[in-house]
Amino acid sequence: METVKISDLIKEGSVHGDVYTDEIIFQKEMKNIFENTWVYVAHESEIANSGDYKTTIIGTNPVIVTRDSDTDEIHVVFNRCRHRAATVCQQEQGNANYFRCAYHGWTYANNGDLTGMPFQDGYDKNFDRCKMGLIKVPKVEVYQGFIFASLSEDVPSLEDHLGHARKYIDYVANTGPDGIALNAGVHKYSFDGNWKLQVENTIDPYHLSVTHRSFFNLIANKTGKKINFSKMHKNEKIRDLGNGHSLYELDGDLGIGALPFNLIIFPNLGFVGSQVRITRPISVNKTYVSLYPIMLKGASVEENASRLRKHEGFYGPAGFGTVDDLEVGFDRVMEGLKAKSMNEDWMEISRGMNREEIDEDGIITATSSDEVSARALYKEWKRLMVKE
Amino acid sequence: MNEVLVDRKDIEAFLIDEASYLDEGKFSEWLDLFTEDAWYWIPSNKDHYDPNTHVSIIYDSKERLDERVWRLQSGLAYGQDPQSRTRHLITNVKVLEREEYSLTVSSNFIIVELRRGIQTIYSGRFEHKLRIYGHSWKIASKKVELINNNEFLGNLSFLL
Repeated sequence: METVKISDLIKEGSVHGDVYTDEIIFQKEMKNIFENTWVYVAHESEIANSGDYKTTIIGTNPVIVTRDSDTDEIHVVFNRCRHRAATVCQQEQGNANYFRCAYHGWTYANNGDLTGMPFQDGYDKNFDRCKMGLIKVPKVEVYQGFIFASLSEDVPSLEDHLGHARKYIDYVANTGPDGIALNAGVHKYSFDGNWKLQVENTIDPYHLSVTHRSFFNLIANKTGKKINFSKMHKNEKIRDLGNGHSLYELDGDLGIGALPFNLIIFPNLGFVGSQVRITRPISVNKTYVSLYPIMLKGASVEENASRLRKHEGFYGPAGFGTVDDLEVGFDRVMEGLKAKSMNEDWMEISRGMNREEIDEDGIITATSSDEVSARALYKEWKRLMVKE
Repeated sequence: MNEVLVDRKDIEAFLIDEASYLDEGKFSEWLDLFTEDAWYWIPSNKDHYDPNTHVSIIYDSKERLDERVWRLQSGLAYGQDPQSRTRHLITNVKVLEREEYSLTVSSNFIIVELRRGIQTIYSGRFEHKLRIYGHSWKIASKKVELINNNEFLGNLSFLL
């Protein structure tokens, strides 16, 4: 499959199965997408104080997000010693003025500068210490507390990239009396499937009344009110916000979280329920998902605790919703995708194409059972993937 | 002070009975072991975070635990279709605290789960608060400290 032609894998209203299973496509996604566009790395509340840091990955590259001990500036540096490549930081989060490699002792300030190594006599004047700091990720920008980095210089400004999605991020950032914090820990789960299945599932209200029927039956039993999904889908909208981002506007409370919308920021960030969701591609058929509950700064402990309980009810490795998605939306899909020898190895994403509307800003809208979000995702996916 | 006098063997027998309800799929019987004000807790990330300020994998009141079991028995809980087969092994039983009508008991566990052809081992520590109830006990709380609670976990729709 060395000669895989990306343009052959996306047709109007459908996506080829290889997009989820082909190792070469995965490698190309890491290069063309994750190393070529803005990727969310952390929220400012996670590195609130001077010297705070957090480790994460951009695509498959381990990086450290730090807040400079001297200037409070935010840096994103590769977690790789310039000497023999060992990672210099092992913790998920913490506070440190220096990162010292435990292999040969090379030591870096938390802005990445190389500050020294043991037995310096082996290096003469030609060794330029200034050039041997931890390599900085070339672009780092912050929008409303959300820190993004790009491994490529050749990207639009973060504001332009977020585009029509900005006002929804503004909304998220201002949900608490004094803003928000991601300081309540994280739900982590994994599945043996392709990362895009989780991203697509982030805005796919079409599956709610089927996959999650038991959950909504439970809510109906409790409240005495049964959700009329057919009516709901007619009232609700999904919007293609451009640049791969999309939005699902909820009509009322589904009992799964506080936000009045689900938002996907291409390629792998989501705002869902009361959470920030990061979907990390590990390999073509292995994905890690992290859910960070959004806590309201300035709200009472009781209010935030009740947000947590609601979140846990549907989400996380034992949440009533997530576990059914893991089985039906990911495990069964990956199994079904093995049926390839039938010349019809395509996934349908055409629903509602006949009733899309486009407004003056170019935003494409259809109803909430339509696959506008998947089409938005694959439009940007294709744009980046066809590049050599 | 009247402390509960009880043989460790009796406590062990109680924990073994509880585990066999889970392994045999007798979830209603398992639920009946809990008091009405009980909670069932699986911390996330660390064992000792405060559930009011930190997310948990599960932090169920008795009401939500009832709902969890209701869902598992609804025939629509796809996360358990196919169903997990489990075996709970319980060891290192130790009474941590004795009060007038209750006991705090620590035990270590290994749970082997088989689902979708894959055997997964979960291990950690249980902490049960047991309350005297007639001639036996009820569970006032059960905390499950998974050693991998800060790792990327699989489908935890079965009962631990």
